[in-house]
Amino acid sequence: MRKIRSIIVDDEELARSIVHEFLTPHSDIEIIAECSNGFEAVKAITELKPDLVFLDIQMPKLNGFEVLELVDKNLSVVFVTAYDQYAVKAFEVHAVDYLLKPFTKERFDEALERARQKVARNESFPLSEVVADARAPDVPLERVLVRDGSRVHVIPVDKIDYVEAQDDYIAIRFEGKTHLKQQRLSVLESSLDRKRFVRIHRSFILNVERLARIELYAKDSRMAILKDGTKLPVSRAGYEKLKGLL
Amino acid sequence: MHPILANQERLAIYMLAWLIFGGMLAAVLALPNDFLWTESLALAVPLTVLYGAICLSSWYLCRVFPLHKTGYAQLLLLYVIAGLLTSSLWILIGNGWTLLLERLSLFAPLNARFIAKTPLLVGVGFILFTLTVAVHYLIITFEATKVVEQRELQSRILAQEAELKALRAQINPHFLFNSLNSISALTTQNPAAARTMTLRLADFLRRSLRVGAQEFIRLEEEISLTLNFLEIEQIRFGSRLGVEQMINEPCTNCLVPPLILQPLVENAIHHGIAQLVDGGTIRLQAEWSGSVLRIRLENPIDTDRPRSRRSGFGLENIRKRLKAIYDTDADLRTEEKDGCFTAELSLPAQTSRAFSSRHRADNGSGLRDVSNN
Repeated sequence: MRKIRSIIVDDEELARSIVHEFLTPHSDIEIIAECSNGFEAVKAITELKPDLVFLDIQMPKLNGFEVLELVDKNLSVVFVTAYDQYAVKAFEVHAVDYLLKPFTKERFDEALERARQKVARNESFPLSEVVADARAPDVPLERVLVRDGSRVHVIPVDKIDYVEAQDDYIAIRFEGKTHLKQQRLSVLESSLDRKRFVRIHRSFILNVERLARIELYAKDSRMAILKDGTKLPVSRAGYEKLKGLL
Repeated sequence: MHPILANQERLAIYMLAWLIFGGMLAAVLALPNDFLWTESLALAVPLTVLYGAICLSSWYLCRVFPLHKTGYAQLLLLYVIAGLLTSSLWILIGNGWTLLLERLSLFAPLNARFIAKTPLLVGVGFILFTLTVAVHYLIITFEATKVVEQRELQSRILAQEAELKALRAQINPHFLFNSLNSISALTTQNPAAARTMTLRLADFLRRSLRVGAQEFIRLEEEISLTLNFLEIEQIRFGSRLGVEQMINEPCTNCLVPPLILQPLVENAIHHGIAQLVDGGTIRLQAEWSGSVLRIRLENPIDTDRPRSRRSGFGLENIRKRLKAIYDTDADLRTEEKDGCFTAELSLPAQTSRAFSSRHRADNGSGLRDVSNN
């Protein structure tokens, strides 16, 4: 029988060791990596393609949710956290397996059993729903994460000029560079600060601070001219939203 | 509020007592055979009960002249005059009552016989008045004791609540649950270390509870508690957390508000060390310059961290506490530069409590008020 390939992610060595210890009696589980921060985790998950990840939420650089955002969702996840009131609520709602530190062997085995079944069914992780609920309310996104191979780029949102939808991807323009990310424009839009980022068109989100002026081209057809000279189309709804802000 | 009028039960007992006095007075009048029993009852009972009602007004005198604040001579003079006046008024009313009874011709003429008893009646009226005054003073003292007791109880409850709130606020759930998880992991791998950590955690919690109830503690104790906390975190973070301290010996005698450093070290761990892949070193310094005690805490910090993970709440709380205790004589400054976060506390260097009590008298708001917020 093929073993379930697992990765343990936690920034504390003792916290990793107890997961390791509790996994030892389960001969069907193979621990293929242990990671102590979010960057390592993204790299390991991308390169090793595990079936199951034990994932801490509070970690340096990237938290557990940010790690998942950057990797292939075709894996099972058991969250491990000491305390996170919003996340736990979201886990309950979406039937995500989680362990609250410290946890008993019995509780651990239960979570593992459910994870096994999910691996067997090849269920992928319902990330966007969980993340939307797990975030503290009223805290807009502050940085956008993109993965390039197994490298992670962290883009602070105030450096973003605009974001363009391209098929299944979004193209993030900042500091003259473009990064592609597999995400829907509407998902990004909903997590950005509405006072700073406006969906000016079906395919564009604009950082309002970059706007120089708006020009009328034809009836109901406008162009946003950015400070660097870039021209972006503005829909009628987009123009209304901009007018409301300026 | 009048303590007898306001309480139906007390009023009933009081009036019953006067009814008995009335009976007794009737006996005094009837026994020498000057009055018939019916006459003496008709005279004494209504008059005495009415006098009881009049004597209730002595409470206002008792309130204006509290026992422990008025001289004995003054009290004596006051109540002799008041007693004589009140009993004289009573005799006047009694006189009217006898005339009324005569007018109704229910009895043989009473007025002359009543007037003959005036000295006796004035004496009785005076004694009863004094008795009422004594009862009023008794009630006032009794109620004052009850109020003091209640206030003490209430302040004890409030202090305990404040303590619990302080403990809840200072014991970060991340710290507590992660520490317990470390103990759980150590139990099988290194039982001796698990025990050490359990004891350190217990020690830290117990000492936090104890000092939290105090107004001031010595800096030495505060620093020892801080190091206690950092030792626990060192087990959790392993080589990621380094601790350095440079404490100028004489400052350790200075008095500081308890747990004032706790939010700062917690921030240093939570927002500093825990967000860094390789961790770093926390530096704690204390020095005495002039009349100012300076305590500095430095920690490395991830310059790319998202803004929502930046601190603020804990610092605001410290500033509020400092303002309440020292007014403008204390300060908390923070600075972030080149990946290093520095928090510097400046407090008046005091080794005795004289300062604190003077200051508390000045602005009337103490530690307690703040911890209630």
